[in-house]
Amino acid sequence: MKLAPLARVAAVTAATALIFTGCAAGSPSGSEGASSGGGTLNIGAVLDIASWDPSQAHVGHALQPYQAPYDTLILREPDGTLSPMLATEWAYDEDQTALTVDLRDDVTFSDGEVFDAEAVKTNLDTFKAANGRQAAQLTAVDSVDVVDEDTVQINLSAPDPSFTYYLSQAAGLMGSPASLGTDEIAAEPVGTGPYVMDPAGSVVGSQYTFTPREDYWNHDLQKFDKIVFKVLTDPTARLNAIVSKQVDVTLLEARQTEQADAAGLELLESQVDWTGLLLFDRDGELNPALADVTVRQAINHALDRETMLEQIQLGYGTVTNQVFGPESGAYVDELDETYPYDPEKAKDLLAEAGYADGFDLVIPSFVGLESISAAITQQLGDVGIRVQTETVPVANIVSDFAAGKYPVGYFFLFQGEPWVAINQLISTEALYNPFDSTSPELQELIDAVHFGGDEAGELAKDVNRYVTENAWFAPLYRLDQIVYVNPATITAEPQIQQAVPSIYNFAPAE
Amino acid sequence: MVTFTLKRIASGIVLLVAISLLTYTLLYFSGTNIARNILGDMATEDQVALKQQELGLDQPLFARFLDWAGGVLSGDLGRSWFNAETVGQSLMNRLPITLTLVVVAILLTAILATVLGMTAAVKRGWVDRVVQIGAVIGDAIPGFVLAIIFVTIFAIQLGLFPAISTIAPGAGPDAWLISLTLPAIAMTVTAVTSGAQQVRSAVIAQLEKDYVRTLRSRGVSEREILFKHVLRSAAPAGLTVLSLQFIGMLGGVVIIEQIFALPGMGALAVSATSLGDIPIVMGVVLYTVIIVIIVNLLVDLANGWLNPKVRVS
Repeated sequence: MKLAPLARVAAVTAATALIFTGCAAGSPSGSEGASSGGGTLNIGAVLDIASWDPSQAHVGHALQPYQAPYDTLILREPDGTLSPMLATEWAYDEDQTALTVDLRDDVTFSDGEVFDAEAVKTNLDTFKAANGRQAAQLTAVDSVDVVDEDTVQINLSAPDPSFTYYLSQAAGLMGSPASLGTDEIAAEPVGTGPYVMDPAGSVVGSQYTFTPREDYWNHDLQKFDKIVFKVLTDPTARLNAIVSKQVDVTLLEARQTEQADAAGLELLESQVDWTGLLLFDRDGELNPALADVTVRQAINHALDRETMLEQIQLGYGTVTNQVFGPESGAYVDELDETYPYDPEKAKDLLAEAGYADGFDLVIPSFVGLESISAAITQQLGDVGIRVQTETVPVANIVSDFAAGKYPVGYFFLFQGEPWVAINQLISTEALYNPFDSTSPELQELIDAVHFGGDEAGELAKDVNRYVTENAWFAPLYRLDQIVYVNPATITAEPQIQQAVPSIYNFAPAE
Repeated sequence: MVTFTLKRIASGIVLLVAISLLTYTLLYFSGTNIARNILGDMATEDQVALKQQELGLDQPLFARFLDWAGGVLSGDLGRSWFNAETVGQSLMNRLPITLTLVVVAILLTAILATVLGMTAAVKRGWVDRVVQIGAVIGDAIPGFVLAIIFVTIFAIQLGLFPAISTIAPGAGPDAWLISLTLPAIAMTVTAVTSGAQQVRSAVIAQLEKDYVRTLRSRGVSEREILFKHVLRSAAPAGLTVLSLQFIGMLGGVVIIEQIFALPGMGALAVSATSLGDIPIVMGVVLYTVIIVIIVNLLVDLANGWLNPKVRVS
């Protein structure tokens, strides 16, 4: 689900980008009657697009480019509300295992193919079979039935409270059935979306140019005469690009804010990821000390979150004790007061658990994590926990976590919808629960969310309370997303739970 | 000369095979779960296993290497695991940028190092001292630091050059020129300073030789001595340093490409390595080794042409 590790991989690695010097577009494109203010939107993208085949689409940073050539069945508003797009209406049956979706009947793909129920079925079937980067989004889908020309019924093997959300993400992108699965669509997207790719202005790995599609069904979404994605994987290159006005929006790092502010750029405030320790080994398989909840609580009390936030992230974030975000619906205000910084209390708790002399703890680290690792080692050391840091290649870290190689891990994780977070971090199926920690009590709480329908968020608060009070994690803080825009050329609105705004959230400056 | 060349080519091929096998083995044992990295942390174990099968990652090392090597022999370098492109396409898109940058930098280095080194050797005195001090300073400042300084001054403050490359599809020579000027200069500066040192000492060594005295006593002009005899004898040392610098630049270009957001091969290598995109990494390694072998061969041939003694030995 989370893009964070890949993005971070990219952030510490190569830069590949070409720039098409921002020519302020000529004639207002073919979008007649469009509410177009015109101009070009130059986006400094963090990652390259792996493939334009919608079944290979991704999330977060990597979803944004797909939104130009493709529509999703459901549109996710900046605040997270799900609105009609290609789907006009949708409703579950009583068991929440059959979702009936009504579709627009006036939409075509850019290759002339008609968008209908058959096309939706082909897309969902292909997405599931292709085993692409977000195949997990359709894990619950059993079958897709064409009810009539503009209605499909999606049958789930079990309720999935995140399913409609997924239809606003990668799984909801609709490609032309005539091209799905071909090499052509991997190189050049064919969708129903507001823009079409201009192959003459695009080079794989460096830039992708889009122009408005003439007969698009919703001209309100075509606010620019041109959108150019410039792949800038290096943070320095991104800063230089936006400061020299070669891009209008890009993602920076906390340490670069001063320069960006000085250049008159504007920070778009939002929070997407949390970061901290995942105390995996709750049964004490690798490190018996961690089986004791008081030890895990001691770790939480030993961390001076405020200072780390200030020194490492220059204050760009909010300290927290929970892994669910404020916008998820599962967030509980007072939980953030569970573990104030209190090394004395941490020592007392350790003594109470029989570890008055402390214990040894191995924590894996990777490139880019040096200062955080040092701070954690120091602070845990202060209460008697002797940390040994083991450096692991970035590309291995997730699979090492999944394989249960380490009792504890430090990581950056996406704060998504409650059901997504549960399946990522807490359920026995979750990758970040490698030792399958659980209890009958917790399982009951999780089941309540699973079958809770619209109440899922509220019910997930209990899951949140359980894992926070049992110190399953030692979260440090939620990170501010350092997205900068050039207010002279564009306006933008942050998108909830997404690393960068959706393309619909941008408009030319007045 | 022909035997010499053939021998060099044969040893180059052996080197190529050895490095490929070694790289492949290292990547194989890196322990990266590529399928998991591609599918993300929400994918089920079954989905990961399926992807592994799809990519042939369930095969043993030697079978995978042979499969890859067989593809290479038939001209197919495979397809990136993270990207829609074939490895061949990927490299062909990026190689021109990297090669242009490195070749321009090395030509500038050759010309400037020769001029500065010879001037210092012939004039000595303050000129020599300036070149010597410059060499120490130049050596002490890494190319990427210069690059960042250049971007800040010439691109962001003065706006004379783009801060990041403007080499767009179908871009004309002007875009290449303005995009490559700063990176090429940044790479040249450090190379020139150490190159000039080498040329200087080689020329001084030659100037002190007996044959120079003999030529002088015969009344041959200083200019003729310098360009016809001394330079020719001093050239092999300079060429060898230059070839080493060329290879060093192929490595250094990685960081320079990042700073200027140039879509070159170095940038590709770094991102592919950290993602575990083995087909791309292998492609980059293969191309780089071939380039290095060709450069070394050319330098050896040039040295042989300049100095018959080399050929015999």
